[in-house]
Amino acid sequence: MDALLNFFMVFTHPQLLLLVGLGTFAGVYIGAIPGLSVTMAVSILISFTFSWDVLPALALMIGIFMGGVYGGSRTAILLNIPGAPSAIATALDGYPMAQRGEAGTAIGITTVMSFFGGFVGIAALAIAAPFVSGVALAFQPRDYMLLALLGILLVGSLSGGSLVKGIFAGAFGIALGAVGMDPLTFTERFTFGVPLLQSGISFVAVMIGMFGVSEALAQLHHIDTPAIKQKITRIVPSFGTIKKYLPLSLQTSSIGVFIGALPGTGGDIAALMAYDYAKRVTRKPARPFGQGAIEGLVAPETANNAAVGGAFIPMMTLGIPGDAVTAIMIGALFIHGLNPGPMLMIDRPEMFWFIVGALVVANVFMLIFGLTGIRLFTKIVEMPRAVLVPLIMLLSIVGAYAVNNSVTDVYWMLGFGVLGYFMRLYGYPLGPVILGLILSRLFDDNWRRAIISENENLGAFFHGIFTSPLSMVLFLAVIWIFVSQTPLVPMIKSRLFARTGTDGASK
Amino acid sequence: MQDPNSIPDPALTSDADPGGVPDMRRPGEAVFDAVILVASLALLWSAYDISGFEALSAPGTVPMMTTLVMVITAGLVLYRSIRLPIDGRETVKHDILPFYVIVLTLLLVGYAVLLVPLGFLPTSALFLILAIKLLWQRSWLVTFGVSAFALVLIYLVFRIVFTVLMPTGIVPEAEMIQWIRNLLSGGQA
Repeated sequence: MDALLNFFMVFTHPQLLLLVGLGTFAGVYIGAIPGLSVTMAVSILISFTFSWDVLPALALMIGIFMGGVYGGSRTAILLNIPGAPSAIATALDGYPMAQRGEAGTAIGITTVMSFFGGFVGIAALAIAAPFVSGVALAFQPRDYMLLALLGILLVGSLSGGSLVKGIFAGAFGIALGAVGMDPLTFTERFTFGVPLLQSGISFVAVMIGMFGVSEALAQLHHIDTPAIKQKITRIVPSFGTIKKYLPLSLQTSSIGVFIGALPGTGGDIAALMAYDYAKRVTRKPARPFGQGAIEGLVAPETANNAAVGGAFIPMMTLGIPGDAVTAIMIGALFIHGLNPGPMLMIDRPEMFWFIVGALVVANVFMLIFGLTGIRLFTKIVEMPRAVLVPLIMLLSIVGAYAVNNSVTDVYWMLGFGVLGYFMRLYGYPLGPVILGLILSRLFDDNWRRAIISENENLGAFFHGIFTSPLSMVLFLAVIWIFVSQTPLVPMIKSRLFARTGTDGASK
Repeated sequence: MQDPNSIPDPALTSDADPGGVPDMRRPGEAVFDAVILVASLALLWSAYDISGFEALSAPGTVPMMTTLVMVITAGLVLYRSIRLPIDGRETVKHDILPFYVIVLTLLLVGYAVLLVPLGFLPTSALFLILAIKLLWQRSWLVTFGVSAFALVLIYLVFRIVFTVLMPTGIVPEAEMIQWIRNLLSGGQA
């Protein structure tokens, strides 16, 4: 009964309702404007809502999150520029539709399907999270350690590009999180004798630098690209259209929930996998995939919004974020004194049901804002980058300053912004850095707890892993990522074959 | 961010962004990788200094593990990138550090330096006007107008709604805010 009451809290408090609506509205536009990302918006917002009560702050951020995941599809369809990584697959068929003058239809279907996927995800969250957190209570410290490792590795390996660079970025994040006084022994770590470093580096400053300033600097490369104008007509899709794609959308939503719920994988992977799935199961698309197939819009858009609910499952129950955005959401919860993990569900169940309620409201707002205000939308998207980029930079500085009222944080933010810029340019993923930074404490604490409970005996530690089914599965998953993603196996094979080849030649 | 005219296929583009192609080394890439490697080595040394090989549960164990991983991966990255052919179509000046990036970074540093002594409003105004004038290249009047509009909007939203405290510097801000508050609650007071 309490759960129901907390679930409806958002609906009964006009202020919270308004904030979710405002957040969703902002999220849709932020997600849609090329150069603004949800990750950027949420990291900057954390600093601004720092002094707020936890409920209004969460209401705003959940709205932005939900709206932002959807908003990326808009520019993917209109400009072939995915506003967010989760909209990459949407561009494949959405842009060809827009080129045929069917942008309105494409946006309409995308919106309704995102709404549908969003609900499937939220339902999965409401049903699965209490169960998962019950199971999670039986997790050993070593399981948490392995889960954290798995999350960082998955983000590093799946975010596209080199796994080696992903692992580097994850390790760098963990090391960054260790800077300052060790909370258990009060030993200084990575402080280089500088008193300023004793309290560690503000993760908000790192986040804003990496996702705000570095993105803004990267945008300067495209400063002269003109905005493209599009005419949009009819948006609201007919009921028949929706009914036709309902079976597919249910399947792809399930894919989205599942992928989103895996630690370390989020909407972008879910969308690509769902797109691939739709391509395989659709026997006779009205138009081939890649040339404007509606199935190619339905699949990624249901999946990436379903992944939002899915991603909240490990985040709320285990404290393990699904991707960079959820990592930042965890950071936001930390800042407001909440500790995501199985105990959150037991100590503060009202928080969980509030979040579920807020997600539902955000999903409804997303549908409303998605189907209306198209004229305003085209105006905002056409905002010149030459004005947008300085504004992002200004907001980044204000955000970095606001958390601790310290200029030092602004310098950190700028430093990490420049570093992040170069990391982007040279193909180092930034997501694992943030994931590592957020998970550093959890990883370190649980490693030490695990090894102390085994009396510092590494053999006993591994014996524990191999004799517990859960630890074993997690351990094998970590190993699997290495084996499947590194060229180690093919390299050894090719070396071996090359040797026998030359041996054969010399004989 | 992809070029608007290309289909963004993650398998075809390199993971570098913006620009870059797979299997080619970008200008300055090897230098950056080398700097990363040296920094990782320094961090490994610093991690060793925390508690050495005292115990597996010592405060320095995880830092040593992670920095060791950093050194190994940074070494691998450097090894791979120096073996790749350099991309002759890209230059540092055009693709890595274009003029705008350097100038805007300097403007940002200038902003951070001036923020406390000068205060939020004048510093932000200066920053916006210079940056927008430089990037947009419209008349001073348009630049001033857009900057002022944006600044007022940001100020109202963040100072009043989000109650973010910014350095006041030379501006009598407390009086201004009181004035705005009086204006807003004029009828009720």
